[in-house]
Amino acid sequence: MSGSDRPAELEGRLHPLAVIIVARRFVGASLIPAFAVFLSAGTRVVVPALLLALFVGLPLAVLSWWRFHYRVAGGRLELRSGVLSRSVRTIPLERVRGIVVTEPFLHRLLGLVRVEVEAAAGGGSQSAEISLPAVSRVQAEVLREALLGAAPAEEEAKEPPPLYHATPGLLALGGVTSMSYLLAPAAIVGVMFNLADDLPGNVIERGADAAADRFPTDALGLALVGVAALAIVLAAAAAGSLLVDWDFTLRDEGERLAAARGLLTRRLAHLDRERIRGIDVRDTPLRRPLGLASASAIAAGVGGTVLAPVLRQEEVPALLRSVDAAAADPSTLLVAHPPPARSRRFVRALAVPIVVLVVLAAFAIVWAVALAFVLAALAALLALDRYRQLGHLFDGRRLVLQEGSLRRRWSELDPRAVVSFELRSSPGQRRAGVATLTVHLGQGAGSRRALDLGEGQAAALLDRVGPELFAPVLPAASQPPPAARSR
Amino acid sequence: MAQRGKDGRASDRAPGVILREPAVALDPRVRTLWLVENLIGTGLVAALVVAGAIVAAMLGAGTVAWLVGGIGALVVLVLAGLSFVAANLDYRHFRYEVADLGLYVAGGWLWRRYQVVPHARVQTVDTTSGPLMRALGLVSVEVRTASASGSTTIPGLTPDVADRLVEELARRAGIEEGT
Repeated sequence: MSGSDRPAELEGRLHPLAVIIVARRFVGASLIPAFAVFLSAGTRVVVPALLLALFVGLPLAVLSWWRFHYRVAGGRLELRSGVLSRSVRTIPLERVRGIVVTEPFLHRLLGLVRVEVEAAAGGGSQSAEISLPAVSRVQAEVLREALLGAAPAEEEAKEPPPLYHATPGLLALGGVTSMSYLLAPAAIVGVMFNLADDLPGNVIERGADAAADRFPTDALGLALVGVAALAIVLAAAAAGSLLVDWDFTLRDEGERLAAARGLLTRRLAHLDRERIRGIDVRDTPLRRPLGLASASAIAAGVGGTVLAPVLRQEEVPALLRSVDAAAADPSTLLVAHPPPARSRRFVRALAVPIVVLVVLAAFAIVWAVALAFVLAALAALLALDRYRQLGHLFDGRRLVLQEGSLRRRWSELDPRAVVSFELRSSPGQRRAGVATLTVHLGQGAGSRRALDLGEGQAAALLDRVGPELFAPVLPAASQPPPAARSR
Repeated sequence: MAQRGKDGRASDRAPGVILREPAVALDPRVRTLWLVENLIGTGLVAALVVAGAIVAAMLGAGTVAWLVGGIGALVVLVLAGLSFVAANLDYRHFRYEVADLGLYVAGGWLWRRYQVVPHARVQTVDTTSGPLMRALGLVSVEVRTASASGSTTIPGLTPDVADRLVEELARRAGIEEGT
C-alpha cells in the first residue's frame, strides 16, 4: 500500500480532445454576448467576430493544452499550467485523500473523463482540489493507480454483486419523498442549473420570464397554479433524483468503496474504508411511512459520502454491516430523552408563532390570525415529533445519536474516532436538568450531538462510552480532586 | 462505577453537574486580562453612544440626543459593571486538568461548557500570547485536534506553567518536541 509498489514516474498531458472541452466552455460563455452582438450589429459584425474567436480562441485553447502538464514523481503530484501566467502546483502523494472521476455528457461522447484529486490542505480540516479537465479513461486509471497506489479495478471481470444498486422506480419515489425541495430549494435550483449547463442557451431563464407575464390573480387561477406548481415541483424532484443518482451503484473494492452515479454526467467516487468514522441514515416524514431511507458515510476529509440515495428500511442493516462490520442496528430502540427536552422543543417552536398570533389578534386581522393559528399548530406538531425522534444509545461498540423530524438523522459512530467530547448547558438547560452532548469527529467529518440529554443519562452514557477516559471526571468516581492548584 | 443507577438519577450528583470540576485554575492575572478586554468592548460601545448623541445634537434633534446619551450611558454603566462580574466569574469557572487519558477543560458561567479531549487525538499543542497577555506575563495554550471545532484553548497561564503543560500534553499525545 505504501510507496514501494507505486510506479516511480508518470508524466502526461490532457487528452488532445480536451481542446474541444475547453472550446465548448468558451462557446458556452460567449453565447449570450454573441447573441447580443448579433441582435445589435447584424451579420456584418458577426462573421468577423466568429473568425476572430476561431483564430484567437482555438490557438489559445491548443496552447493551454500544450502547456498543461502533470507529473507524478518523487512522491509528488506536479501540475504545470497557464499560458500567460504559469503556475506549478505540487501535492505530496501522502496528502492525496481520494480521486473523483466524472464523466460529463460531452466527455462521454468523446470517451474522456474528468479527474479531480482531493488532497488534505496543510492546515487541517479544509481540503484542496486539483482538477484534470479531460483525460482518457486509461490515463485516469493509471493516474489512480499512481496516486493511490491501488491495483486497477478488474473491469467487468468477476465483480461481486454491488452492495447497493438503485432502481429507477425507487429513485423517482426517493426524489418525491426527499422533501429537500421544502428545506433546500437551492438543491433543485442546483439541479436545474446542472441541467441548464448541458442545454444550449438560456432556456430555463427565458421560460421563467415568460411565465411571470401570465400570472393569474383570481382565486381559482391561484389554486390551479398552486396545484400545477406542486405537480411540477414533485416531477422536478423525481427527475432531479433520477438525473443525479441514475444507476447508483455502490461496490466493495476491498480497501475502498466505489460509488458510481448519474445519467448525463456520470460520477465515480472512491472512499477509503479507513476514513469512515460512522454512518448516517436519514429519512423524512414522507419516507417514514413508505419505509424508505438514505444512507451516507461520515468520512474524514470529504464529510458525507452517499452510500445509498434511497433504499428500503429492511435493506439498511445489511448495507450498514457491509460498510462497518460492527455497525449498530437501526431498528434497536433508542433511549428517549427526558420530558424537559419536549418542553424545550415546544418553547422553541412556539415562541415566535405565539407572539405573532398575539400581535395579529391585537390588530384583529381575522384571516391572518387563522393562518397564524394553523402555522402554530403545525409548529407544535413538528416540535412534538422533534422530541419523539430524539434518542441515543451505546451498544458496546457504536454510539447512536438521533435527532430531527423533517430530516431525521440516525447516526452511528465509533467512539474511538471521536476527537473531542463536549457537554454544553445553558442556564435554562441546567434548570431543566438537561445538557447537550456534542461529539466532534475531526478532519471535516463534522460532529453529531445528543440534544437535551438528561444529566443522569449524560453521565451514564459517557461512563459507558469511555469508562477509562471519563472515570476521573465523573463525580461518582470517589477520588477527591487532587489538591494540585497552580498557585 | 456500578453505584450509579441506570438512569443516573440515583447518584448523589448535584443538579446541573454531570462532570466534576477539573482540578486546576488559571493564573489569577487572567482576570485582569479579561477585565481589560471586556472594558475595551465597553469603551467601543461608549464611543458609539457618544458619536450617536453628537450626531443627533448636530442634526438639531436635542431630545433624541439626550435620549441616546441617557440610555447609552445607562447601558455603558451596566456593561462596565458586567465586565468586572464576568471577568471574575469566568475566572472562577474556567478550570482544566490533565489526566491519564485526556485533557479536561471546563469554562463559562452562564453557558457551561465541558470538553474532554483524548490525548491520542491531539495533533498539535501551541502557545500564543498577544501584546496584552505579554504585558501581564501570560500565555495561552492551544490544543488542536483534527477538527477545528473540537480544538480548545487554555488562556492565561504563566509561561512556566504553560511550558510544563505543553510538554506534558505533547508527551502524552506522542508529538515530538519542537516545530
